[in-house]
Amino acid sequence: MTAGDGPPVKPVVGRGPTFITRLMESRWLGWAGLAVGLGAPLVIATPYALNIMTSAVIFVMLAVGLNIVVGYCGLLDLGFAAFFAVGAYTSGILANELEIPLLATVPAVIVVTVIAGIVIGAPTLRLRSDYLAIVTLGFGEIIRIVANNLDITGGPSGIYGIPGLSAFGVDLSEPVVFYWVTVLIVALAVLFAARLGRSRLGRAWRFVREDEDAAEASGIHTYQVKLSAYIAGAVWGGLAGVLFAGQLSAVSPASFTFLQSALVLMAVVLGGMGSTPGVVLGAVFISLLPELLRDFADYRFFVFGVLLIVVMIVRPQGLWPHRSSESARTAARSRTGPPGEPATDSKGAS
Amino acid sequence: MSQLIWNGLFVGSFYALVALGYSMVYGIIKLLNFAHGDLYMLGAFSGFAMLGAMGGLVKSQSLLALFIVLLLAMLTTGLSGVVLERVAYRPLRRAPRLALLITAVGASFALEYGTRIVAGANPKVYPVRLGGTTLHVFGARITVQQLALVGVAVALMVALHLLITRSRQGRAMRAIALDPRAALLMGVDVDKVIARTFFIGSALAGAAGVMAGGYYGKIDFLMGFIIGLKAFTAAVIGGIGNMQGTMLGGLVLGLLESFGTHWLGGEWRDVFAFGCLILFLTVRPTGLLGERVTERV
Amino acid sequence: MKSPKIILGVALAAVAATSACGQGVLGGDDEGGDDKGPIVLGMNVPKSGSSAEIGPYMENGAQLAIEEINAKGGVLGRKLQLRAEDDGCDPKMATAAANKLVAAGVKASVGGYCSGATLPTLPVFDKAKIPMVIPAANSTDLVAQKLKHVFLINGTGDQQTTAAMAWLVKSGAKKVAVMHDNTSYAKDIAVRTAAELDKPGGPDKAGIETVNPGESDYSANVTAVLKTSPDFIYWTGYYQEGGLLTRQLRQAGYKGKIMVADGAVDPKIISIAQGENADGLYATMTQMPDTIQGAQNWVAKYKQKFSADPGPYSPQSYDAVRVVAEAMTKAGSTDGAKVVTALEGINGFQIFSGPLKFTPDHRLSEGGFVILVVKDGKFALQDSLK
Repeated sequence: MTAGDGPPVKPVVGRGPTFITRLMESRWLGWAGLAVGLGAPLVIATPYALNIMTSAVIFVMLAVGLNIVVGYCGLLDLGFAAFFAVGAYTSGILANELEIPLLATVPAVIVVTVIAGIVIGAPTLRLRSDYLAIVTLGFGEIIRIVANNLDITGGPSGIYGIPGLSAFGVDLSEPVVFYWVTVLIVALAVLFAARLGRSRLGRAWRFVREDEDAAEASGIHTYQVKLSAYIAGAVWGGLAGVLFAGQLSAVSPASFTFLQSALVLMAVVLGGMGSTPGVVLGAVFISLLPELLRDFADYRFFVFGVLLIVVMIVRPQGLWPHRSSESARTAARSRTGPPGEPATDSKGAS
Repeated sequence: MSQLIWNGLFVGSFYALVALGYSMVYGIIKLLNFAHGDLYMLGAFSGFAMLGAMGGLVKSQSLLALFIVLLLAMLTTGLSGVVLERVAYRPLRRAPRLALLITAVGASFALEYGTRIVAGANPKVYPVRLGGTTLHVFGARITVQQLALVGVAVALMVALHLLITRSRQGRAMRAIALDPRAALLMGVDVDKVIARTFFIGSALAGAAGVMAGGYYGKIDFLMGFIIGLKAFTAAVIGGIGNMQGTMLGGLVLGLLESFGTHWLGGEWRDVFAFGCLILFLTVRPTGLLGERVTERV
Repeated sequence: MKSPKIILGVALAAVAATSACGQGVLGGDDEGGDDKGPIVLGMNVPKSGSSAEIGPYMENGAQLAIEEINAKGGVLGRKLQLRAEDDGCDPKMATAAANKLVAAGVKASVGGYCSGATLPTLPVFDKAKIPMVIPAANSTDLVAQKLKHVFLINGTGDQQTTAAMAWLVKSGAKKVAVMHDNTSYAKDIAVRTAAELDKPGGPDKAGIETVNPGESDYSANVTAVLKTSPDFIYWTGYYQEGGLLTRQLRQAGYKGKIMVADGAVDPKIISIAQGENADGLYATMTQMPDTIQGAQNWVAKYKQKFSADPGPYSPQSYDAVRVVAEAMTKAGSTDGAKVVTALEGINGFQIFSGPLKFTPDHRLSEGGFVILVVKDGKFALQDSLK
């Protein structure tokens, strides 16, 4: 009867594909959406619209990263902004100090975020899941305080004058171009995250989420699997940080508070944990809503808080839930996989 | 040196008072009530509102007024805790932990920003302040008001201890913590006992809130966030779910912070405190006094 | 296999959908874009978030100036109009707000409170060739990039430090401790003051101490500071912590003097510090209406209009609008480049802090800082450092 006693929430069982379901699962939706997204600036291209659209797309990247950790692997991370900060600061500092283009800092950012993921994940991932939540929160605060205290991060006012995006000598910092580049990069990242979720590692993540002990018993090294999810999330967050630094040209600790972490979590929960289209939708929603309701900024977090409770009670799978059924081909492929690999059949109650 | 120790113990007794609620709830339903710190805030604000409503009495009998307000605020926050459990947590008692934790984060936001909408973003100043003379004990400056507050905190903790170990209620709580299903079979009204636990834990946090308001004077709607985090840290250091351990953890954390500020400077204090938390969780996840708990699945 | 590409689509479809139907909502309106209608001035101020209380003070101050100018016929025969946006003291929100103002066709910006949130908006306005007269944010980082369109009319950290040092010397301080809350503005002043104290001659440095903003118990910090036995303590952060610190310092038996910087000058610091604890508290501050001779009229007008007292940065925001109006009149145009030239040429225009003249890096030539003191529960002028 305690919190941990209950059976895991059953994934939604399909009632047979309705029209909406078929639409939601259509393979053409992605391409259509990408085209519409890229075409959006042709409809509206004021600096303001481009700015918030770019912010929204960057936020999508963050949410997809957190989705790997929370949605796929079931680890509650309340300090995700820490990785966002690590990425933004690393690229900003390198670009400013070494005077190299922002994109050239990406390899360094990946290395640093992987290290950050290991440093934060290694001691904490052995803990009980609910301890993990608070510890990640503590780590988020530590990163922000450290950035605020050190000289190399510019102290409380942060670093500024970060060069815009450019590649091969071509300036990409024009708002429209920056938007398009961001859309393409994020689209790739989203695609890659979704693929990762369906890979062998992704199935292991979901297995760990559904039943950690069963996963362990089936020969999954749960600690390593969890750590890998954590690192993947960190890299996504860090890359979002690079885009963020390029967009704002200034990075300061005020952007990486607990509220930021909580907002990303809300996007993931609202959209549907583990469901990539849902999370993308949730991120766009969470990121655009405050701009549309600028004058009600005071009510925003109150509404978000209530929404979190309501969603968890009424529709815990989110607005656009993950469907755990796999197509025959994927399932067949995994069944013929080498021994020792978790069979997809045992995954949850699907 | 003795000043550092006293500072640490004083702050630590606040931490302990808030941490107890955390610990009790966790001990019984294994839920990290993320909104617990905000009940502390709610206590401070309801105390503020009551003092405003009492008007004249506050001026003439400020100590008495503060004491009455303390009791009323405990009642208010206690009931808020019960409502919170009923509305947000009970429907999810069978859901996975992740869902409960997210709900708790949502509840925390709703309480913080709900208070903000009602009371405004500006900090509020308590109309009554505890004043008192200063004593010198072993070279440390101790004010009478500090002693009074620590006295109240200790009294509350002792009362809680007696309640849990001596009363029927306490036995029911311990039974549920041990095995909720068996307790149910034995005729314990589990829902009722959980509600009571929330009432007691929240009331303690509310008491700490009013005491902080009366002592420091300034309250604002985000005051519960940091202390909630610190209270959790204290509970973990002492052994979450274990009452004596939690009290000890609060004091230890207060001392750690006091010395951390002294050694490293104020800007690194929280890094030091959270660093200790992570260290504790890695090295001794059961805390100072917690018994070895095997993770149930 | 179900295509994961769906996913891309969703994001983009949603973005597109919002933008497609958003012409009216997101596109902003072009009320200030033409040359006939009112001249729109943009203003980024915090109306939500940690500094939400400041927004209305600044907006009202600016609004007051606009109505005065409009009553006299406006600028270049056109009315002025204020458009205030919430920046929430958050860099991301501030950038969006700045872009919104640019899209709305504002001719100048008269906002900016949090330095951290104002910094990323500089390139936005600068690229759009819109002059910025920043009334409140005062980090030296703001002018460090030497952007053509950026002007500060609040004294900067180094000017405040100079004023603080002058008063420390004048009041005979011997050993000074500096405390700050690790926010950009406060740390700037604290570090500069500490560096000045380290120089030979004048008062000595007792120490520099950092507190965490937003907490209640600063006894650990108080103990650390008092260990260095200072006879003068300078707090450079904001009023909430300033009030708590003042009270806790006094409770811990500190008998020396305490001074606060302009961020802590707010009537609330006195009520938080409680009664006599705040008596004799000094402050480095630019002139406030109630400390300026002859400004009672201004205060009365403000009160009558908004049924509230003016607060921090109301006068500066009022001045920012007047400075912009003056420059536009002088330039005979609202064109960015011409207005910038006119701003650079301003000499002796009267604002609250004194006659205005910009230095080559677009700061005030005179910080205009004075020393205030708390007397009978109110801030009053102690020394004008002239």
